[in-house]
Amino acid sequence: MADETILLGAVAYDAKVVPIWEGIREHFRGQHVPMDFCLFSNYERQVESLLAGHIDIAWNTPLAHVRVKRRTQGKSLSLGMRDSDRDFKARIVVRKDAGIKSLPDLHGKTLAVGSRDSTQARILPLHFLRAQGVDLSSVKLLPFDTDVGKHGDTGTSELDVLKALHEGRAQAGAVGDLIWVLEQAAGRVDTGKLQVLWTTPGFDHCMFDALPGANAAKLEAFKRGLFAMKWENPAHRRILELEGLKEWLPPREEGYASLTAALDEQGGW
Amino acid sequence: MTNAAIAIDTGDLPFGGGMLALVRPALDLLEPGGVLAVLTRQSHAIDELGTWCKVERHELLEATADQGGATRILLRKGSFGAPRGAIEDNLDLKPHGGRIEAADMLAAVPFAPSADPGTGFAPRGARVEPGGPVYPCTINDLAHAAPPDVAQLYDQAVSAQWNADTDIEWARIKPLPRPLQRALGQVFTFLAENELSALYVPSRFIARLHPHYVETAQFLATQMADEARHIDVFLKRARVGGGGVGISHATTSASLHSLLTLEDFTEAAFLLSVLGEGTFLDLLRYIEMHAPDEVTADIVRRARADETRHVHFGMSHVKHALSHDHTMYARLEAAVRKRSATLAGAGGVPYAVQDSLTILAAGGTDPAAVAKGHSAFRELMEVMHENRVKRLLNAGFSPAQAQTLSDLHTPNFM
Repeated sequence: MADETILLGAVAYDAKVVPIWEGIREHFRGQHVPMDFCLFSNYERQVESLLAGHIDIAWNTPLAHVRVKRRTQGKSLSLGMRDSDRDFKARIVVRKDAGIKSLPDLHGKTLAVGSRDSTQARILPLHFLRAQGVDLSSVKLLPFDTDVGKHGDTGTSELDVLKALHEGRAQAGAVGDLIWVLEQAAGRVDTGKLQVLWTTPGFDHCMFDALPGANAAKLEAFKRGLFAMKWENPAHRRILELEGLKEWLPPREEGYASLTAALDEQGGW
Repeated sequence: MTNAAIAIDTGDLPFGGGMLALVRPALDLLEPGGVLAVLTRQSHAIDELGTWCKVERHELLEATADQGGATRILLRKGSFGAPRGAIEDNLDLKPHGGRIEAADMLAAVPFAPSADPGTGFAPRGARVEPGGPVYPCTINDLAHAAPPDVAQLYDQAVSAQWNADTDIEWARIKPLPRPLQRALGQVFTFLAENELSALYVPSRFIARLHPHYVETAQFLATQMADEARHIDVFLKRARVGGGGVGISHATTSASLHSLLTLEDFTEAAFLLSVLGEGTFLDLLRYIEMHAPDEVTADIVRRARADETRHVHFGMSHVKHALSHDHTMYARLEAAVRKRSATLAGAGGVPYAVQDSLTILAAGGTDPAAVAKGHSAFRELMEVMHENRVKRLLNAGFSPAQAQTLSDLHTPNFM
């Protein structure tokens, strides 16, 4: 393999990851930017491979992104994100029959949460609840540690949270906004039983990360190729739809401040 | 019908508890770029609708407090996944004489000159959401898919269906003298074998036909139902009254095999329906004329009425294709020649068929009667040839072409 080939890492959280990256590789080829990808089964292995220099770029979850930042003393390079990665939220959903009218009412109740590495269904909801004055030691947590290593990408633990709420095994639960809305749109939420109690502040999601010493020409070529993808181009659009975005955007770091604080507070590094 | 703006009131319906059931159909009536105003009394629904709009690529323009605690949300419809095609609305098919026929439907929703295999099984007129697979249909243009009177022929076929179990007076059949019974068994064996091919051949083209031209598939389905009934009734007749089925000849098998291997719908319609079933009409008339009893005559009369419809469809299909595509004349002639070459050396009418048709016309084995039967059979060959030529002329072939093609037709009749 020629040296100028950009090697990108992504986590195979779903079968669609293969056509997505094959499509993007095809697009890069058309841009005369040699790129290839390798798939990891979990973000921890991907982060270690990036730090060891085995791959040039990692397509990271927020948790993987802030870990890379921390491990490089803030010097890692952020390359870009999806429009849909900005201003993510989480919802605290409650059973209507649980008598929970405000956040303090969560005390003494069971709160279902997602995987321990899910930003939207566990780490940040707990952080924001604490910031709102909820004493987490007096809330009984019902955790669903499914697909650990995938950082909540599969959404399985969030579906477990909704199931526990429907079945009455929990009176409250934390889920990402996207799952909450899509499950409702699919008609799978009983709105006679469940309702939203509270919505968290916004936070950002995935990011392309590279090491500070990375080959600058490769990174420039990567950004050029990435930002050349256009929604209006049907071949690009097919890939963008699969990856769940309309437009690739430049990076921004402020959307990860809450996650960094949450990991400090929870000892989650 | 297209809309630039629509307003709906979703009351206090939760986002996932009914609000979308009002929002989505309203958006469906808008063109991309159109604006939907939603009035809601659910505070969380505003935020949830915002997230949903992001996923579905609609744009939430604004949310403003309305009088009385309601919120008015303006959405701009995006183009993501928007179904293609015009919105069908305000159609009002009117029954006449209490009936709504397929022809009325076709008049209301006419055929397009060609169809896109990417629309799959979408009923004609439906808007099609993008992203569906491309279907393996190969008959995608009106000229080769559907003659103009296909819906009328389908309507006629539906009204003309009959029941092989109850419409035939089976109890009235009396045993026949053995030679006549054997001859009748052989004739019906031959008829059933040919009808089996007429059941199988159209089936090969239904899956290749674009569903936009569904009336043709519907007609072919009635044709297949007709053939299924004919096979049923012919084999029953062969086995009532002390007889049984006869011989299946290699010539018949080779002739029918050459129909089954055809790959072109119009060529198959020409060889099977115009030439084959056309010739079959004369054969059925012959059997009716010489039937040993009224029940047998009734069976073949009913079958002939059905076959007449099949010939009509075949003629209509071929004439329609010929009128749009002049290369079809040469292609159809080539198809006849190719089939004739495949069957070269197969001999004349299979002997058991020839003999049984002779005995049938003779009404028995008395030598004087057999002589008459033999003449009747020879006359049948003449009549078949003359009628084939007439049909070929009607289809638009020249007299010389018609003569040649008729001569080249299979000795197996079908």
